[in-house]
Amino acid sequence: MVLADLGRKITSALRSIIDFDEMAGGLNKRRMIQSSVYKELVKLVDPGVKAWQPTKGRNNVIMFVGLQGSGKTTTCTKLAYYYQKKGWRTCLICADTFRAGAFDQLKQNATKARIPFYGSYTEIDPVEIAKEGVDKFKSENFEIIIVDTSGRHKQEDSLFEEMLQVYNNIMPDNVIFVMDASIGQACEAQSKAFKEKVDVGSVIITKLDGHAKGGGALSAVAATKSPVIFIGTGEHIDDFEPFKNMIPGFSSDFLTKGGEQESM
Amino acid sequence: MFGMFKNLVGSKMLSHEDLQPVLEKMKEHLVSKNVASDIAQKLCDSVAVKLEGKTLGTFSSISTTVKTALNESCLQILRPRRRVDILRDAMEAKQNRRPYCITFCGVNGVGKSTNLAKICFWLVENGFRVMIAACDTFRAGAVEQLRTHTRKLNALHPPEKHAGQQMVQLYEKGYGKDAAGIAMEAINFARDCHIDVVLVDTAGRMQDNEPLMRALAKLIKVNQPDLVLFVGEALVGNEAVDQLTKFNQALADHSNMTNPRLIDGIILSKFDTIDDKTLLLKFKLKSGSG
Ligand SMILES: Nc1nc2c(ncn2[C@@H]2O[C@H](COP(=O)(O)OP(=O)(O)OP(=O)(O)O)[C@@H](O)[C@H]2O)c(=O)[nH]1
Ligand SMILES: Nc1nc2c(ncn2[C@@H]2O[C@H](COP(=O)(O)OP(=O)(O)OP(=O)(O)O)[C@@H](O)[C@H]2O)c(=O)[nH]1
Ligand SMILES: [Mg+2]
Ligand SMILES: [Mg+2]
Repeated sequence: MVLADLGRKITSALRSIIDFDEMAGGLNKRRMIQSSVYKELVKLVDPGVKAWQPTKGRNNVIMFVGLQGSGKTTTCTKLAYYYQKKGWRTCLICADTFRAGAFDQLKQNATKARIPFYGSYTEIDPVEIAKEGVDKFKSENFEIIIVDTSGRHKQEDSLFEEMLQVYNNIMPDNVIFVMDASIGQACEAQSKAFKEKVDVGSVIITKLDGHAKGGGALSAVAATKSPVIFIGTGEHIDDFEPFKNMIPGFSSDFLTKGGEQESM
Repeated sequence: MFGMFKNLVGSKMLSHEDLQPVLEKMKEHLVSKNVASDIAQKLCDSVAVKLEGKTLGTFSSISTTVKTALNESCLQILRPRRRVDILRDAMEAKQNRRPYCITFCGVNGVGKSTNLAKICFWLVENGFRVMIAACDTFRAGAVEQLRTHTRKLNALHPPEKHAGQQMVQLYEKGYGKDAAGIAMEAINFARDCHIDVVLVDTAGRMQDNEPLMRALAKLIKVNQPDLVLFVGEALVGNEAVDQLTKFNQALADHSNMTNPRLIDGIILSKFDTIDDKTLLLKFKLKSGSG
Protein backbone atom coordinates (compact mmCIF):
# COMPACT_ATOMS: atom_id res chain seq x y z
CA MET A 1 0.00 0.00 0.00
CA VAL A 2 2.87 2.34 0.63
CA LEU A 3 3.69 1.75 -3.01
CA ALA A 4 0.42 3.31 -4.01
CA ASP A 5 1.67 6.50 -2.37
CA LEU A 6 -0.83 6.47 0.42
CA GLY A 7 0.35 8.38 3.45
CA ARG A 8 1.88 6.16 6.12
CA LYS A 9 -0.31 7.69 8.78
CA ILE A 10 -3.42 6.74 6.88
CA THR A 11 -2.19 3.24 6.18
CA SER A 12 -1.66 2.55 9.84
CA ALA A 13 -4.96 4.14 10.74
CA LEU A 14 -6.65 1.79 8.31
CA ARG A 15 -4.80 -1.15 9.72
CA SER A 16 -6.12 -0.47 13.18
CA ILE A 17 -9.65 -0.02 11.91
CA ILE A 18 -9.78 -3.38 10.22
CA ASP A 19 -10.36 -6.05 12.80
CA PHE A 20 -8.65 -9.10 11.41
CA ASP A 21 -9.94 -11.42 14.13
CA GLU A 22 -13.52 -10.66 13.35
CA MET A 23 -13.22 -11.75 9.80
CA ALA A 24 -15.06 -14.90 8.88
CA GLY A 25 -12.80 -17.85 8.32
CA GLY A 26 -13.76 -19.19 4.91
CA LEU A 27 -13.96 -15.88 3.13
CA ASN A 28 -11.36 -14.58 0.77
CA LYS A 29 -9.33 -12.49 3.12
CA ARG A 30 -7.90 -10.16 0.56
CA ARG A 31 -11.33 -9.32 -0.86
CA MET A 32 -12.57 -8.63 2.60
CA ILE A 33 -9.65 -6.39 3.44
CA GLN A 34 -10.08 -4.54 0.20
CA SER A 35 -13.71 -3.90 0.67
CA SER A 36 -13.28 -2.57 4.19
CA VAL A 37 -10.34 -0.43 3.19
CA TYR A 38 -12.46 0.87 0.36
CA LYS A 39 -15.21 1.82 2.78
CA GLU A 40 -12.74 3.55 5.06
CA LEU A 41 -11.32 5.48 2.13
CA VAL A 42 -14.77 6.72 1.30
CA LYS A 43 -15.02 8.02 4.83
CA LEU A 44 -11.57 9.58 4.61
CA VAL A 45 -12.34 11.78 1.66
CA ASP A 46 -15.77 12.53 3.02
CA PRO A 47 -15.21 15.31 5.54
CA GLY A 48 -18.82 15.09 6.69
CA VAL A 49 -19.75 18.56 5.50
CA LYS A 50 -22.13 19.16 2.67
CA ALA A 51 -20.51 20.53 -0.49
CA TRP A 52 -21.19 24.17 -1.26
CA GLN A 53 -23.85 24.66 -3.95
CA PRO A 54 -24.39 27.78 -6.06
CA THR A 55 -27.75 29.53 -5.81
CA LYS A 56 -29.78 30.21 -8.93
CA GLY A 57 -30.72 33.78 -9.71
CA ARG A 58 -27.89 35.51 -7.84
CA ASN A 59 -24.09 36.01 -8.22
CA ASN A 60 -21.94 33.09 -7.13
CA VAL A 61 -18.26 34.01 -7.13
CA ILE A 62 -15.92 31.00 -7.24
CA MET A 63 -12.15 31.41 -6.83
CA PHE A 64 -9.75 28.72 -8.08
CA VAL A 65 -6.45 28.12 -6.25
CA GLY A 66 -3.73 25.48 -6.40
CA LEU A 67 -0.14 24.54 -7.11
CA GLN A 68 1.57 25.40 -10.40
CA GLY A 69 0.36 23.31 -13.30
CA SER A 70 -2.28 21.42 -11.29
CA GLY A 71 -4.92 22.14 -13.92
CA LYS A 72 -6.72 25.26 -12.62
CA THR A 73 -7.15 27.08 -15.93
CA THR A 74 -8.31 23.97 -17.77
CA THR A 75 -10.68 23.04 -14.95
CA CYS A 76 -12.12 26.58 -14.70
CA THR A 77 -13.39 26.26 -18.24
CA LYS A 78 -14.66 22.74 -17.63
CA LEU A 79 -16.67 23.91 -14.63
CA ALA A 80 -17.98 26.98 -16.45
CA TYR A 81 -18.99 24.80 -19.38
CA TYR A 82 -20.68 22.33 -17.05
CA TYR A 83 -22.90 25.02 -15.51
CA GLN A 84 -23.50 26.77 -18.81
CA LYS A 85 -24.86 23.55 -20.27
CA LYS A 86 -27.22 23.35 -17.33
CA GLY A 87 -28.56 26.80 -18.18
CA TRP A 88 -26.67 29.02 -15.73
CA ARG A 89 -25.32 32.41 -16.84
CA THR A 90 -21.62 31.71 -16.56
CA CYS A 91 -18.39 33.67 -17.08
CA LEU A 92 -14.61 33.45 -16.54
CA ILE A 93 -12.00 35.87 -15.20
CA CYS A 94 -8.25 35.46 -15.66
CA ALA A 95 -6.47 36.87 -12.62
CA ASP A 96 -3.18 35.17 -13.49
CA THR A 97 -0.74 37.87 -14.54
CA PHE A 98 2.34 35.76 -13.85
CA ARG A 99 2.31 32.75 -16.14
CA ALA A 100 3.32 33.53 -19.73
CA GLY A 101 0.34 33.11 -22.04
CA ALA A 102 -2.13 32.63 -19.16
CA PHE A 103 -4.69 35.08 -20.52
CA ASP A 104 -4.42 33.65 -24.04
CA GLN A 105 -5.00 30.18 -22.64
CA LEU A 106 -8.18 31.16 -20.81
CA LYS A 107 -9.33 33.32 -23.71
CA GLN A 108 -8.93 30.52 -26.26
CA ASN A 109 -10.67 28.02 -23.99
CA ALA A 110 -13.53 30.42 -23.22
CA THR A 111 -13.96 31.44 -26.84
CA LYS A 112 -14.18 27.84 -27.97
CA ALA A 113 -16.85 27.12 -25.35
CA ARG A 114 -18.60 30.45 -25.99
CA ILE A 115 -18.24 31.64 -22.43
CA PRO A 116 -17.86 35.38 -21.73
CA PHE A 117 -14.47 36.19 -20.19
CA TYR A 118 -12.48 39.03 -18.68
CA GLY A 119 -8.74 39.66 -18.43
CA SER A 120 -5.96 42.05 -19.35
CA TYR A 121 -2.67 41.99 -21.25
CA THR A 122 -1.38 45.14 -19.58
CA GLU A 123 -2.56 45.21 -15.97
CA ILE A 124 -0.02 43.41 -13.79
CA ASP A 125 -1.93 43.42 -10.49
CA PRO A 126 -4.12 40.31 -10.20
CA VAL A 127 -6.13 41.95 -7.39
CA GLU A 128 -7.15 44.79 -9.72
CA ILE A 129 -8.20 42.45 -12.51
CA ALA A 130 -10.12 40.15 -10.20
CA LYS A 131 -11.97 43.09 -8.63
CA GLU A 132 -12.79 44.77 -11.95
CA GLY A 133 -13.91 41.51 -13.52
CA VAL A 134 -16.11 40.47 -10.62
CA ASP A 135 -17.71 43.95 -10.40
CA LYS A 136 -18.37 43.99 -14.12
CA PHE A 137 -19.94 40.56 -14.25
CA LYS A 138 -21.92 41.13 -11.05
CA SER A 139 -23.45 44.24 -12.54
CA GLU A 140 -24.36 42.19 -15.61
CA ASN A 141 -26.13 39.66 -13.38
CA PHE A 142 -24.01 36.64 -14.14
CA GLU A 143 -24.81 33.68 -11.92
CA ILE A 144 -21.54 31.74 -11.95
CA ILE A 145 -18.45 33.99 -11.87
CA ILE A 146 -15.24 31.94 -11.91
CA VAL A 147 -11.91 33.55 -11.06
CA ASP A 148 -8.73 31.77 -12.21
CA THR A 149 -5.52 32.61 -10.32
CA SER A 150 -1.80 31.89 -10.73
CA GLY A 151 -0.27 28.68 -9.48
CA ARG A 152 1.60 29.05 -6.19
CA HIS A 153 3.26 27.10 -3.37
CA LYS A 154 3.57 27.57 0.37
CA GLN A 155 7.34 28.12 0.35
CA GLU A 156 6.83 31.48 -1.38
CA ASP A 157 5.18 33.81 1.15
CA SER A 158 4.56 36.64 -1.29
CA LEU A 159 2.52 34.35 -3.53
CA PHE A 160 0.37 33.23 -0.63
CA GLU A 161 -0.05 36.84 0.47
CA GLU A 162 -1.19 37.74 -3.05
CA MET A 163 -3.78 34.95 -2.94
CA LEU A 164 -5.13 36.34 0.32
CA GLN A 165 -5.32 39.82 -1.20
CA VAL A 166 -7.37 38.54 -4.14
CA TYR A 167 -9.56 36.62 -1.73
CA ASN A 168 -10.17 39.63 0.53
CA ASN A 169 -10.99 41.86 -2.39
CA ILE A 170 -13.51 39.66 -4.15
CA MET A 171 -14.89 37.80 -1.14
CA PRO A 172 -15.73 34.65 -3.11
CA ASP A 173 -18.70 32.46 -2.16
CA ASN A 174 -16.52 29.40 -2.62
CA VAL A 175 -12.81 28.64 -3.00
CA ILE A 176 -11.93 25.54 -5.02
CA PHE A 177 -8.57 23.85 -4.50
CA VAL A 178 -7.43 22.08 -7.67
CA MET A 179 -5.20 19.09 -7.10
CA ASP A 180 -3.28 16.87 -9.50
CA ALA A 181 -3.95 13.15 -8.85
CA SER A 182 -0.31 12.23 -9.42
CA ILE A 183 0.84 14.37 -6.57
CA GLY A 184 2.87 12.56 -3.93
CA GLN A 185 2.49 12.63 -0.21
CA ALA A 186 4.36 15.94 -0.05
CA CYS A 187 1.16 17.61 -1.19
CA GLU A 188 -0.48 17.11 2.17
CA ALA A 189 1.51 20.00 3.64
CA GLN A 190 0.73 22.14 0.60
CA SER A 191 -3.02 21.62 0.76
CA LYS A 192 -3.02 22.27 4.49
CA ALA A 193 -1.23 25.56 3.85
CA PHE A 194 -3.80 26.61 1.23
CA LYS A 195 -6.62 25.74 3.59
CA GLU A 196 -5.06 27.80 6.36
CA LYS A 197 -4.61 30.87 4.17
CA VAL A 198 -7.94 31.02 2.37
CA ASP A 199 -11.22 29.33 3.17
CA VAL A 200 -11.04 26.37 0.80
CA GLY A 201 -14.56 24.92 0.49
CA SER A 202 -14.20 22.25 -2.19
CA VAL A 203 -11.61 20.18 -4.00
CA ILE A 204 -11.34 19.11 -7.63
CA ILE A 205 -8.93 16.29 -8.48
CA THR A 206 -7.48 16.43 -12.00
CA LYS A 207 -5.56 14.12 -14.33
CA LEU A 208 -7.27 10.95 -13.14
CA ASP A 209 -6.84 9.67 -16.69
CA GLY A 210 -3.17 9.23 -15.82
CA HIS A 211 -1.60 6.25 -14.19
CA ALA A 212 -1.81 7.52 -10.62
CA LYS A 213 -4.98 6.57 -8.90
CA GLY A 214 -4.81 9.27 -6.33
CA GLY A 215 -3.27 7.42 -3.42
CA GLY A 216 -1.01 10.35 -2.61
CA ALA A 217 -3.83 12.77 -3.26
CA LEU A 218 -6.03 11.13 -0.65
CA SER A 219 -4.10 12.39 2.35
CA ALA A 220 -3.97 15.80 0.72
CA VAL A 221 -7.73 15.81 0.27
CA ALA A 222 -8.16 14.79 3.88
CA ALA A 223 -5.95 17.73 4.92
CA THR A 224 -8.30 20.24 3.30
CA LYS A 225 -11.29 18.89 5.24
CA SER A 226 -13.31 19.76 2.15
CA PRO A 227 -15.40 17.56 -0.10
CA VAL A 228 -14.25 16.57 -3.58
CA ILE A 229 -16.88 17.90 -5.96
CA PHE A 230 -15.58 17.06 -9.45
CA ILE A 231 -12.84 15.06 -11.12
CA GLY A 232 -10.90 15.78 -14.31
CA THR A 233 -10.29 12.83 -16.60
CA GLY A 234 -8.57 14.35 -19.61
CA GLU A 235 -7.56 17.51 -21.40
CA HIS A 236 -10.81 18.07 -23.27
CA ILE A 237 -13.55 20.30 -21.95
CA ASP A 238 -15.99 17.47 -21.30
CA ASP A 239 -13.47 15.17 -19.62
CA PHE A 240 -15.08 16.17 -16.36
CA GLU A 241 -17.57 14.56 -14.02
CA PRO A 242 -19.18 15.15 -10.65
CA PHE A 243 -17.52 13.21 -7.87
CA LYS A 244 -20.05 10.73 -6.55
CA ASN A 245 -18.59 9.72 -3.25
CA MET A 246 -16.12 7.33 -4.83
CA ILE A 247 -14.96 7.18 -8.37
CA PRO A 248 -14.49 3.85 -10.05
CA GLY A 249 -10.79 3.22 -10.40
CA PHE A 250 -9.82 5.97 -8.01
CA SER A 251 -9.71 3.78 -5.01
CA SER A 252 -10.49 0.20 -5.96
CA ASP A 253 -7.87 0.26 -8.71
CA PHE A 254 -5.04 1.56 -6.70
CA LEU A 255 -5.87 -0.80 -3.90
CA THR A 256 -5.52 -3.85 -6.09
CA LYS A 257 -2.44 -2.36 -7.67
CA GLY A 258 -0.76 -1.77 -4.33
CA GLY A 259 -2.17 -4.95 -2.86
CA GLU A 260 -0.71 -7.21 -5.47
CA GLN A 261 2.78 -5.86 -5.23
CA GLU A 262 3.10 -5.74 -1.52
CA SER A 263 0.71 -7.25 0.94
CA MET A 264 -0.55 -5.03 3.68
CA MET B 1 18.42 8.90 12.11
CA PHE B 2 21.90 7.85 13.29
CA GLY B 3 20.55 7.24 16.77
CA MET B 4 19.34 3.81 15.68
CA PHE B 5 22.97 2.67 15.38
CA LYS B 6 23.70 3.42 19.05
CA ASN B 7 23.47 -0.18 20.18
CA LEU B 8 26.25 -1.24 17.85
CA VAL B 9 28.87 0.54 19.91
CA GLY B 10 31.14 -1.93 21.61
CA SER B 11 34.40 -3.80 21.53
CA LYS B 12 33.26 -6.77 19.49
CA MET B 13 33.40 -7.18 15.77
CA LEU B 14 30.10 -6.40 14.03
CA SER B 15 28.46 -9.38 12.40
CA HIS B 16 25.76 -9.62 9.81
CA GLU B 17 23.29 -10.54 12.56
CA ASP B 18 24.16 -7.48 14.64
CA LEU B 19 23.49 -5.20 11.73
CA GLN B 20 20.30 -6.70 10.33
CA PRO B 21 17.74 -5.19 12.75
CA VAL B 22 19.35 -1.76 12.58
CA LEU B 23 19.49 -1.73 8.81
CA GLU B 24 15.89 -2.84 8.68
CA LYS B 25 15.02 0.22 10.74
CA MET B 26 17.09 2.45 8.51
CA LYS B 27 15.35 1.11 5.45
CA GLU B 28 11.98 1.81 6.99
CA HIS B 29 13.11 5.33 7.77
CA LEU B 30 14.24 5.94 4.20
CA VAL B 31 11.00 4.60 2.80
CA SER B 32 9.05 6.92 5.08
CA LYS B 33 11.07 9.75 3.52
CA ASN B 34 9.65 8.79 0.13
CA VAL B 35 12.68 6.80 -1.07
CA ALA B 36 11.55 3.88 -3.23
CA SER B 37 12.06 0.64 -1.35
CA ASP B 38 14.46 -0.99 -3.82
CA ILE B 39 16.73 2.01 -3.54
CA ALA B 40 16.47 2.09 0.22
CA GLN B 41 17.58 -1.54 0.14
CA LYS B 42 20.55 -0.66 -2.04
CA LEU B 43 21.61 2.08 0.32
CA CYS B 44 21.32 -0.23 3.31
CA ASP B 45 23.35 -2.93 1.59
CA SER B 46 26.16 -0.53 0.94
CA VAL B 47 26.17 0.59 4.56
CA ALA B 48 26.25 -3.07 5.62
CA VAL B 49 29.34 -3.70 3.54
CA LYS B 50 31.11 -0.80 5.25
CA LEU B 51 30.21 -1.93 8.76
CA GLU B 52 30.47 -5.71 8.68
CA GLY B 53 33.60 -7.12 10.27
CA LYS B 54 34.51 -3.78 11.83
CA THR B 55 34.91 -2.93 15.49
CA LEU B 56 33.61 0.52 16.24
CA GLY B 57 34.38 1.63 19.75
CA THR B 58 32.50 4.91 19.92
CA PHE B 59 29.15 6.17 18.75
CA SER B 60 30.76 8.96 16.77
CA SER B 61 32.90 6.50 14.80
CA ILE B 62 29.79 4.51 13.92
CA SER B 63 27.83 7.51 12.84
CA THR B 64 30.76 8.79 10.77
CA THR B 65 31.13 5.43 9.03
CA VAL B 66 27.42 5.19 8.28
CA LYS B 67 27.33 8.77 7.03
CA THR B 68 30.28 8.27 4.72
CA ALA B 69 28.88 5.03 3.37
CA LEU B 70 25.50 6.63 2.72
CA ASN B 71 27.05 9.65 1.12
CA GLU B 72 29.19 7.60 -1.19
CA SER B 73 26.36 5.44 -2.42
CA CYS B 74 24.03 8.43 -2.89
CA LEU B 75 26.68 10.10 -5.01
CA GLN B 76 27.13 6.95 -7.00
CA ILE B 77 23.43 6.85 -7.77
CA LEU B 78 23.25 10.51 -8.69
CA ARG B 79 26.33 10.59 -10.86
CA PRO B 80 25.35 10.29 -14.52
CA ARG B 81 26.54 7.29 -16.45
CA ARG B 82 26.76 9.23 -19.64
CA ARG B 83 28.16 12.74 -19.75
CA VAL B 84 25.77 15.32 -21.06
CA ASP B 85 27.66 18.44 -22.02
CA ILE B 86 25.22 20.56 -23.94
CA LEU B 87 27.51 23.52 -24.52
CA ARG B 88 30.33 21.39 -25.88
CA ASP B 89 28.05 19.29 -28.08
CA ALA B 90 26.23 22.35 -29.40
CA MET B 91 29.58 23.93 -30.28
CA GLU B 92 30.61 20.81 -32.12
CA ALA B 93 27.34 20.77 -34.09
CA LYS B 94 27.88 24.42 -34.94
CA GLN B 95 31.32 23.63 -36.35
CA ASN B 96 29.69 20.95 -38.48
CA ARG B 97 27.21 23.57 -39.71
CA ARG B 98 24.12 21.91 -38.36
CA PRO B 99 21.73 22.94 -35.60
CA TYR B 100 21.90 21.10 -32.27
CA CYS B 101 18.42 19.91 -31.32
CA ILE B 102 16.91 19.33 -27.89
CA THR B 103 13.39 17.92 -27.40
CA PHE B 104 11.48 18.38 -24.14
CA CYS B 105 8.86 15.86 -23.09
CA GLY B 106 6.86 14.88 -20.02
CA VAL B 107 3.36 14.64 -18.59
CA ASN B 108 0.95 17.59 -18.38
CA GLY B 109 1.88 20.72 -16.50
CA VAL B 110 5.26 19.64 -15.12
CA GLY B 111 7.22 22.62 -16.46
CA LYS B 112 8.41 21.62 -19.94
CA SER B 113 7.87 25.01 -21.55
CA THR B 114 9.23 26.95 -18.56
CA ASN B 115 12.40 24.86 -18.40
CA LEU B 116 12.80 25.17 -22.15
CA ALA B 117 12.81 28.94 -21.69
CA LYS B 118 15.34 28.64 -18.87
CA ILE B 119 17.69 26.53 -20.98
CA CYS B 120 17.22 28.95 -23.85
CA PHE B 121 18.33 31.80 -21.59
CA TRP B 122 21.42 29.85 -20.55
CA LEU B 123 22.31 29.06 -24.17
CA VAL B 124 21.91 32.69 -25.21
CA GLU B 125 24.09 33.78 -22.30
CA ASN B 126 26.68 31.44 -23.76
CA GLY B 127 26.45 33.08 -27.16
CA PHE B 128 24.27 30.57 -29.01
CA ARG B 129 21.43 31.65 -31.27
CA VAL B 130 18.29 29.66 -30.56
CA MET B 131 15.14 28.69 -32.41
CA ILE B 132 12.16 27.64 -30.30
CA ALA B 133 9.86 25.22 -32.12
CA ALA B 134 6.27 25.47 -30.89
CA CYS B 135 5.30 21.81 -31.28
CA ASP B 136 2.63 21.83 -28.58
CA THR B 137 -0.16 22.43 -31.06
CA PHE B 138 -2.84 21.23 -28.67
CA ARG B 139 -2.98 23.10 -25.36
CA ALA B 140 -4.66 26.51 -25.47
CA GLY B 141 -2.15 29.33 -25.07
CA ALA B 142 0.89 27.09 -25.58
CA VAL B 143 2.12 29.07 -28.59
CA GLU B 144 1.52 32.44 -26.95
CA GLN B 145 3.34 31.23 -23.85
CA LEU B 146 6.47 30.59 -25.93
CA ARG B 147 6.02 33.86 -27.81
CA THR B 148 6.03 35.72 -24.51
CA HIS B 149 9.21 33.92 -23.43
CA THR B 150 10.85 34.68 -26.78
CA ARG B 151 10.01 38.36 -26.45
CA LYS B 152 11.35 38.54 -22.91
CA LEU B 153 14.57 36.73 -23.81
CA ASN B 154 15.17 39.02 -26.76
CA ALA B 155 14.57 42.03 -24.54
CA LEU B 156 17.24 40.75 -22.15
CA HIS B 157 19.60 40.08 -25.04
CA PRO B 158 18.82 42.71 -27.68
CA PRO B 159 20.55 42.52 -31.09
CA GLU B 160 22.79 45.46 -30.10
CA LYS B 161 24.50 43.20 -27.62
CA HIS B 162 25.05 40.47 -30.22
CA ALA B 163 26.42 42.08 -33.36
CA GLY B 164 22.99 42.98 -34.65
CA GLN B 165 21.68 39.43 -34.54
CA GLN B 166 18.36 38.40 -33.06
CA MET B 167 19.24 35.72 -30.53
CA VAL B 168 15.92 33.91 -30.10
CA GLN B 169 13.33 33.11 -32.73
CA LEU B 170 10.02 31.35 -32.52
CA TYR B 171 8.96 28.86 -35.15
CA GLU B 172 5.22 28.31 -34.93
CA LYS B 173 2.39 27.15 -37.14
CA GLY B 174 -0.49 27.72 -34.76
CA TYR B 175 -2.66 24.92 -33.42
CA GLY B 176 -3.92 21.58 -34.64
CA LYS B 177 -1.03 20.69 -36.95
CA ASP B 178 1.24 17.67 -36.80
CA ALA B 179 3.98 18.29 -34.24
CA ALA B 180 6.59 16.08 -35.91
CA GLY B 181 6.24 18.02 -39.16
CA ILE B 182 6.60 21.38 -37.47
CA ALA B 183 9.74 20.21 -35.68
CA MET B 184 11.18 19.07 -38.99
CA GLU B 185 10.43 22.42 -40.66
CA ALA B 186 11.92 24.29 -37.73
CA ILE B 187 15.15 22.29 -37.86
CA ASN B 188 15.46 22.81 -41.62
CA PHE B 189 14.75 26.50 -41.22
CA ALA B 190 17.38 26.76 -38.50
CA ARG B 191 19.92 25.02 -40.71
CA ASP B 192 19.26 27.42 -43.57
CA CYS B 193 19.55 30.46 -41.32
CA HIS B 194 22.60 29.19 -39.43
CA ILE B 195 20.84 29.15 -36.09
CA ASP B 196 22.83 27.13 -33.56
CA VAL B 197 20.27 25.36 -31.41
CA VAL B 198 16.64 24.24 -31.87
CA LEU B 199 14.56 23.71 -28.73
CA VAL B 200 11.45 21.63 -29.40
CA ASP B 201 8.52 22.11 -27.00
CA THR B 202 5.99 19.25 -27.00
CA ALA B 203 2.51 18.91 -25.56
CA GLY B 204 2.15 17.26 -22.17
CA ARG B 205 0.82 13.71 -22.27
CA MET B 206 -0.05 10.97 -19.82
CA GLN B 207 2.35 8.04 -19.96
CA ASP B 208 -0.49 5.56 -20.54
CA ASN B 209 -2.09 7.50 -23.40
CA GLU B 210 -1.06 5.33 -26.30
CA PRO B 211 -1.98 7.52 -29.28
CA LEU B 212 -0.16 10.48 -27.77
CA MET B 213 2.90 8.43 -26.80
CA ARG B 214 2.98 7.07 -30.33
CA ALA B 215 2.96 10.62 -31.69
CA LEU B 216 5.88 11.56 -29.46
CA ALA B 217 7.84 8.50 -30.57
CA LYS B 218 7.22 9.55 -34.17
CA LEU B 219 8.42 13.10 -33.53
CA ILE B 220 11.62 11.77 -32.03
CA LYS B 221 12.11 9.11 -34.67
CA VAL B 222 11.77 11.37 -37.69
CA ASN B 223 13.75 14.26 -36.25
CA GLN B 224 16.47 12.38 -34.34
CA PRO B 225 17.19 15.18 -31.87
CA ASP B 226 20.65 15.29 -30.30
CA LEU B 227 19.14 15.29 -26.84
CA VAL B 228 15.80 14.12 -25.47
CA LEU B 229 15.04 15.59 -22.06
CA PHE B 230 12.33 14.31 -19.78
CA VAL B 231 10.87 16.89 -17.41
CA GLY B 232 9.59 15.48 -14.13
CA GLU B 233 8.05 17.22 -11.18
CA ALA B 234 9.65 16.90 -7.76
CA LEU B 235 6.25 16.91 -6.05
CA VAL B 236 4.84 13.76 -7.59
CA GLY B 237 6.84 11.32 -5.50
CA ASN B 238 6.97 7.68 -6.52
CA GLU B 239 4.74 8.24 -9.52
CA ALA B 240 7.59 10.01 -11.33
CA VAL B 241 9.44 6.73 -11.67
CA ASP B 242 6.48 5.18 -13.46
CA GLN B 243 6.24 8.16 -15.81
CA LEU B 244 9.88 7.98 -16.74
CA THR B 245 9.91 4.21 -17.24
CA LYS B 246 6.81 4.32 -19.43
CA PHE B 247 8.07 7.23 -21.53
CA ASN B 248 11.25 5.33 -22.23
CA GLN B 249 9.30 2.15 -22.95
CA ALA B 250 6.98 3.95 -25.35
CA LEU B 251 9.88 5.49 -27.24
CA ALA B 252 11.36 2.03 -27.62
CA ASP B 253 8.10 0.25 -28.54
CA HIS B 254 6.76 2.71 -31.08
CA SER B 255 9.94 3.44 -32.97
CA ASN B 256 10.26 0.11 -34.81
CA MET B 257 13.98 0.46 -34.61
CA THR B 258 16.57 -1.83 -33.09
CA ASN B 259 18.39 1.14 -31.65
CA PRO B 260 15.68 3.63 -30.75
CA ARG B 261 16.35 7.13 -29.40
CA LEU B 262 15.52 7.07 -25.71
CA ILE B 263 15.55 9.66 -22.97
CA ASP B 264 19.03 11.09 -22.45
CA GLY B 265 18.47 13.27 -19.46
CA ILE B 266 16.10 14.49 -16.84
CA ILE B 267 15.10 17.89 -15.59
CA LEU B 268 13.58 17.81 -12.15
CA SER B 269 11.29 20.83 -11.88
CA LYS B 270 9.52 22.55 -9.00
CA PHE B 271 12.23 21.60 -6.57
CA ASP B 272 11.27 24.73 -4.68
CA THR B 273 7.88 23.26 -3.74
CA ILE B 274 9.12 20.35 -1.64
CA ASP B 275 10.73 20.42 1.78
CA ASP B 276 12.02 16.88 1.71
CA LYS B 277 14.34 16.30 -1.19
CA THR B 278 14.89 12.55 -1.37
CA LEU B 279 13.09 11.85 -4.64
CA LEU B 280 16.11 12.64 -6.75
CA LEU B 281 17.69 9.36 -5.72
CA LYS B 282 15.18 6.91 -7.06
CA PHE B 283 14.65 8.96 -10.16
CA LYS B 284 18.25 8.81 -11.20
CA LEU B 285 18.65 5.17 -10.42
CA LYS B 286 15.66 4.15 -12.55
CA SER B 287 16.69 6.12 -15.57
CA GLY B 288 20.29 5.12 -15.74
CA SER B 289 20.96 8.32 -17.59
CA GLY B 290 22.35 11.77 -16.93
N1 LIG C 1 -4.49 14.38 -18.92
C1 LIG C 1 -5.03 15.42 -18.27
N2 LIG C 1 -4.45 16.63 -18.38
C2 LIG C 1 -5.01 17.67 -17.73
C3 LIG C 1 -6.18 17.55 -16.94
N3 LIG C 1 -6.48 18.77 -16.44
C4 LIG C 1 -5.52 19.61 -16.90
N4 LIG C 1 -4.63 18.96 -17.69
C5 LIG C 1 -3.42 19.47 -18.38
O1 LIG C 1 -2.49 19.87 -17.39
C6 LIG C 1 -1.69 20.92 -17.90
C7 LIG C 1 -1.74 22.09 -16.93
O2 LIG C 1 -3.06 22.59 -16.88
P1 LIG C 1 -3.40 24.12 -16.58
O3 LIG C 1 -4.88 24.25 -16.59
O4 LIG C 1 -2.61 25.00 -17.45
O5 LIG C 1 -2.86 24.21 -15.09
P2 LIG C 1 -2.84 25.49 -14.13
O6 LIG C 1 -3.07 24.98 -12.76
O7 LIG C 1 -3.76 26.54 -14.64
O8 LIG C 1 -1.33 25.95 -14.31
P3 LIG C 1 -0.69 27.34 -13.79
O9 LIG C 1 -1.66 28.41 -14.11
O10 LIG C 1 0.59 27.45 -14.55
O11 LIG C 1 -0.47 27.15 -12.33
C8 LIG C 1 -2.24 21.24 -19.27
O12 LIG C 1 -1.44 20.55 -20.21
C9 LIG C 1 -3.63 20.68 -19.23
O13 LIG C 1 -4.09 20.34 -20.52
C10 LIG C 1 -6.79 16.23 -16.82
O14 LIG C 1 -7.79 16.01 -16.14
N5 LIG C 1 -6.16 15.21 -17.52
N1 LIG D 1 7.46 26.61 -8.33
C1 LIG D 1 7.84 26.23 -9.56
N2 LIG D 1 6.98 26.33 -10.57
C2 LIG D 1 7.38 25.94 -11.80
C3 LIG D 1 8.67 25.44 -12.06
N3 LIG D 1 8.76 25.13 -13.39
C4 LIG D 1 7.56 25.44 -13.93
N4 LIG D 1 6.72 25.93 -12.97
C5 LIG D 1 5.32 26.38 -13.13
O1 LIG D 1 4.52 25.27 -13.47
C6 LIG D 1 3.44 25.66 -14.32
C7 LIG D 1 3.44 24.83 -15.56
O2 LIG D 1 4.64 25.09 -16.30
P1 LIG D 1 4.75 24.87 -17.87
O3 LIG D 1 6.17 25.15 -18.26
O4 LIG D 1 3.69 25.57 -18.59
O5 LIG D 1 4.51 23.29 -17.91
P2 LIG D 1 4.38 22.35 -19.18
O6 LIG D 1 4.97 21.04 -18.80
O7 LIG D 1 4.92 23.01 -20.39
O8 LIG D 1 2.79 22.22 -19.28
P3 LIG D 1 1.90 21.65 -20.49
O9 LIG D 1 2.57 22.13 -21.72
O10 LIG D 1 0.56 22.21 -20.25
O11 LIG D 1 1.94 20.17 -20.33
C8 LIG D 1 3.66 27.15 -14.57
O12 LIG D 1 2.87 27.88 -13.67
C9 LIG D 1 5.13 27.36 -14.28
O13 LIG D 1 5.37 28.68 -13.86
C10 LIG D 1 9.58 25.33 -10.95
O14 LIG D 1 10.73 24.87 -11.05
N5 LIG D 1 9.10 25.75 -9.73
MG1 LIG E 1 -3.39 28.55 -15.08
MG1 LIG F 1 4.07 23.42 -22.24
